[in-house]
Amino acid sequence: MSDFVRIFVRNRGAVVGVVVLALVAVIAATAGVLFPFSPWDMRGAPFSPPGDPDFLLGSDSLGRDVAAGIAYGARVSLLIGAVSTCVAVLIGVTLGAVAGYASGLIDDAIMRFTEFFQTIPSFVLAVVLVAIFSPSLGSIVVAIAIVSWPPVARVIRAEVLSLRSREFVQAAEVLGRSRLSIICREILPNALSPLIVLASLMVASAILLESGLSFLGLGDPNLMSWGFMIGAGRSVIRLAWWMSVFPGVAIFLTVLALNLVGEGLTDALNPRLARRR
Amino acid sequence: MSGCLIHGLPWAAKPSSFAALHNKAAWAAHWESGASRALGKRREPRIGGFVMRDLTRRGVLLGATAAGVAPALVGTGSVQAQTPAPTPAPAPKRGGTLTTILTPEPPILVLGVNNQGPTQLAAGKLFQGLFKYSFKLDPVAELAQSWTLSDDKKTYTFKLQENVKFHDGTPMTADDVIFSIMKFHTELSPRARPIFAKIKQATAPDPHTVVLTLDAPFEPFMLMFDDTACAIVPKHIYDGTDYRTNPANQHPIGTGPFQFVEWQRGNFIRMKRFADYWKPGEPYLDEIIYRIIPDSQSRALALQTGQVQLTQANDIEPFDIPRFKAMSNLQVELNGWEYASQLSWFEINHRVKPLDDVRVRQAMSHALDRNFILNRLWFGIGKVATGPIVSTTKFYDPAVAKLQAYDPGKAMALLDAAGLKPNAKGVRFSIKQLALPYGEVWMRLSEYFRTAMAKVGIEVTLETTDAGAWARRIGDWDYETSTNFLSQFGDPTLGVERSYVSSNIKKVTFTNTGGYSNPKVDALFATARDSGDPAVRAKAFTDVQKILCDEVPQIWLMELAWPTIHEKKLHNVIRTAMGPNGDFEDAYLA
Amino acid sequence: MGSARFWRFLAQRLLKMAAMIVAIAVANFLLIHAAPGDPASVMAGEAGAADPQFMAQLRAQFGLDKPLSTQLLIYLGNLLHGDLGMSFRQGRPVAGLIAERLPATLLLTGTAFAFALAMGMLLGALAAQRVGRWADSAITVLALGFFATPIFWVGLMLVLVFSVWLDWLPSFGMNTVGADYTGWAAVADTAQYLVLPALTLGLFYMAVYARLTRASMLEVASQDFVRTARAKGVPEGRILRRHILRNALLPVITYAGIQAGQLIGGSILVETVFAWPGIGRLAFDALLARDYQLLLGVFLCTSVLTVVVNLVTDVVYAWVDPRVEVG
Repeated sequence: MSDFVRIFVRNRGAVVGVVVLALVAVIAATAGVLFPFSPWDMRGAPFSPPGDPDFLLGSDSLGRDVAAGIAYGARVSLLIGAVSTCVAVLIGVTLGAVAGYASGLIDDAIMRFTEFFQTIPSFVLAVVLVAIFSPSLGSIVVAIAIVSWPPVARVIRAEVLSLRSREFVQAAEVLGRSRLSIICREILPNALSPLIVLASLMVASAILLESGLSFLGLGDPNLMSWGFMIGAGRSVIRLAWWMSVFPGVAIFLTVLALNLVGEGLTDALNPRLARRR
Repeated sequence: MSGCLIHGLPWAAKPSSFAALHNKAAWAAHWESGASRALGKRREPRIGGFVMRDLTRRGVLLGATAAGVAPALVGTGSVQAQTPAPTPAPAPKRGGTLTTILTPEPPILVLGVNNQGPTQLAAGKLFQGLFKYSFKLDPVAELAQSWTLSDDKKTYTFKLQENVKFHDGTPMTADDVIFSIMKFHTELSPRARPIFAKIKQATAPDPHTVVLTLDAPFEPFMLMFDDTACAIVPKHIYDGTDYRTNPANQHPIGTGPFQFVEWQRGNFIRMKRFADYWKPGEPYLDEIIYRIIPDSQSRALALQTGQVQLTQANDIEPFDIPRFKAMSNLQVELNGWEYASQLSWFEINHRVKPLDDVRVRQAMSHALDRNFILNRLWFGIGKVATGPIVSTTKFYDPAVAKLQAYDPGKAMALLDAAGLKPNAKGVRFSIKQLALPYGEVWMRLSEYFRTAMAKVGIEVTLETTDAGAWARRIGDWDYETSTNFLSQFGDPTLGVERSYVSSNIKKVTFTNTGGYSNPKVDALFATARDSGDPAVRAKAFTDVQKILCDEVPQIWLMELAWPTIHEKKLHNVIRTAMGPNGDFEDAYLA
Repeated sequence: MGSARFWRFLAQRLLKMAAMIVAIAVANFLLIHAAPGDPASVMAGEAGAADPQFMAQLRAQFGLDKPLSTQLLIYLGNLLHGDLGMSFRQGRPVAGLIAERLPATLLLTGTAFAFALAMGMLLGALAAQRVGRWADSAITVLALGFFATPIFWVGLMLVLVFSVWLDWLPSFGMNTVGADYTGWAAVADTAQYLVLPALTLGLFYMAVYARLTRASMLEVASQDFVRTARAKGVPEGRILRRHILRNALLPVITYAGIQAGQLIGGSILVETVFAWPGIGRLAFDALLARDYQLLLGVFLCTSVLTVVVNLVTDVVYAWVDPRVEVG
């Protein structure tokens, strides 16, 4: 464990990533303290430029505080990123493990099913799904999870395939342990490292997907999310560039941080390759 | 990202595993996301014979600065329509190409088969009706040169123009007119159907006279003959075919001053002067080109840099208007919508408690600051509504048209009186609002609704959908509140009655989907409908306005105005109450 | 790999591919019909006036009054004859509409793709060569930046710089309307409109390819056979070309293959913003209008392309790398 931490910390980028993520999380948690009002409240003159004492980052077309929107939006973005990734991982691990372990016809069927999801461009599929379920927090999470699980399934399946012929698995089989317990206790813990890396990147892509959906007006209208703010600011970009720029900075920093952390994790979990740096 | 994954995984994996490494969602999301390009090309395309303005960089920057000044312009009250320049306009000049915009792209350009806004705009140059209407909604001769009404007010005689030809060269006769009225539009148009069903008999005593006999006098009858209500289409093309799938729909044939040339979907529609147009010497313009530009910022840019000389209706967003008013080469006109007279409102579903209680609706009306909506959301474009009838529609009575003033205190008192006290969190009751999916500004309106209602203790949850789902939900009565706007078509019997009479409670949009029912209102509308006497009708409409303003079955917001912005070099744009839907037969560039 | 085995493999895959496409068509059909509302309700909502007869007429015309299973069978039947149906909204054959808009999208995404691949591989190789030095850091940071930035930002900066300040390029559209250029003049005209949208799309993928190439080259450079070649005294340049590059490019090509399959579907927002008349926008508008036939047609095209490209990639890969087993 200390090896892991030591290697991780050596990667400056990863450390920066962790710091930024922590900052975002803190802002999200303390949004109610920093801005003790609803981000939807119309608090003053519309289109106030940033630097105004009342509106640090400016105000939008209805006089709402952009900084408050970003703080509260951090909650939404992180929440959507985390939850949809969890759901996607759950689906992907289940299907991938079953496919890898069972092999044969079941494996084939699951793989064809996975391929089907990859033939429709995923953003279009997400849009169709949200249109079907009507935009809301739940439907967005489900839609993002549905378009994101195929890579997880494939990775887990590959890991299971390569691990199942190893001795410790054979030993467990000889001992008569059940398939489920073999998968959960022996195989998955070893497949954890690529999964962790993948998960960190999936959170980033979920945030981007959500911003894309909100952009097209398919976000949950009761949640002030970064994507929604950019979408609302897009048509007035000449009057108020700050409405789109600051939420975009927020997304950029968060996604960047997640990528850096992902890289750090990869190095830490594969010390052999890290030596090359 | 892929780099990380390569590090972490077995090198000699099978090809399909590599597919697994790539999170398509992320890349697809990036592949898809984009945004408006606010500022852009200043180079002028060379279009036809018309020399474009060439704005210098400074001109563009000035435009941008003017935009930055916008906050100061907000709240200065309604935008005044610019009065025409005091110097006399130059004489009409033949020649030139007009480039303008069409938003959104219509599916089909044949009026009747399709009646939405963009179709009316573009196809209005290709097709014509028997009449058009002046700003006061009096009929003006178009394909019909005159009309007479019999003494019993049941028989209309129209004398047609004599030398009208369709774009394929065939002369237009009374047979085409009768076909258009009795078969084509009756079959296709829900708006025309109930009115034309009143025609007992339609005859053509000679090729240039049409006689229509109604079963009873119907005063608004004359308002049903412009091109948007009843465009005249060629009988020899459409009779006996399936109108909606007739191949001629891809190449429209009408009698208008311009004829269809080509339509590159997603790109532009092109029409050119019809050489055999029945008014000699007209039209002045050589060509009209409608460009399809899906993004609002791109459209504003096109107007600013002179790539288009005219915009109308949905093309330019309200917040961009002040900027264009400030440009000396452009003119902003707000009239031309007297016939359509669109009114926006918050739609109430009376089946949902407690919205069926009149005190609750009055409270909601008191809780809304309509001036805020007008000035902050629509940037002063339009007028605050005063009742169910728009001020430019016939029989509007300013004496009785009064809506609840902005008074949150009164709203809360009314809600208390209705027995809806606030709970521990200050919430009296919760409702949902289904936002109108036709643009950003409607979303802002729904957000304002939520905030305004929250102030008086009503909790609003917003729902968004796209157009297909919205129309279905309204039609199925599957909503609590929503937003809507409807046209009035010049006479309350034609466009207003349908939303308030209990006989029109149907499971289709644009009927009385709210479910409001008041027998007194039904009776008054019936009187106005059946009487041929304007004085009787006026009294009935005055009474019904009084009742409706009190009962607020829908919470009316604004009389919408859609600015038409054009270069000052373009003349004769708004000539009638048809506004930019007019045929542009005498528009010219000079 | 024996050629008989190869052909058998190919035949099997082709068969699977055909079955896949039919399954996709059915699944897409059910998916799209699950969305609430139908073309009739959309058109009613836009018409400004409606009555039940209007809705019934439209539904009958679109064949929507039949039960869903019947509609599905009709659709599949037409499909097997190569008939993609008629667009409800525009009254024109779907195949024609798609054929009209496809070239514009392919031009845009193809250009972006080529740019991304070329520049990405170049930058990645450069970074791998100079690993640990500032050039490497600079390229990595740049790549990470383009990857994490929402694309519209990149676009905004480009427009600001190249369109507003420098006035070198137009900001929307595909060509100069009404100018009627032909031949080379038309090509040059479209080319200037193509630059910004293609760049906007391409910069993100360039980042991906750069990082992929870099990582892959570093991985290969550390492997035994390279060390052996160095120990044998083979010149560095030859090591680079014959040993490192050929192996390092395999994952890049794989990924490029996958992306090629997405060329059709991938550009809705860029097309919207730049008013580029392509198929992404066509599909999105079709979804909003519930124009089932048109949307199904577009989905079918993208599915077919993806499946075909996957097959080609697998075949190329198998042919190139004898270590990989097929079947």
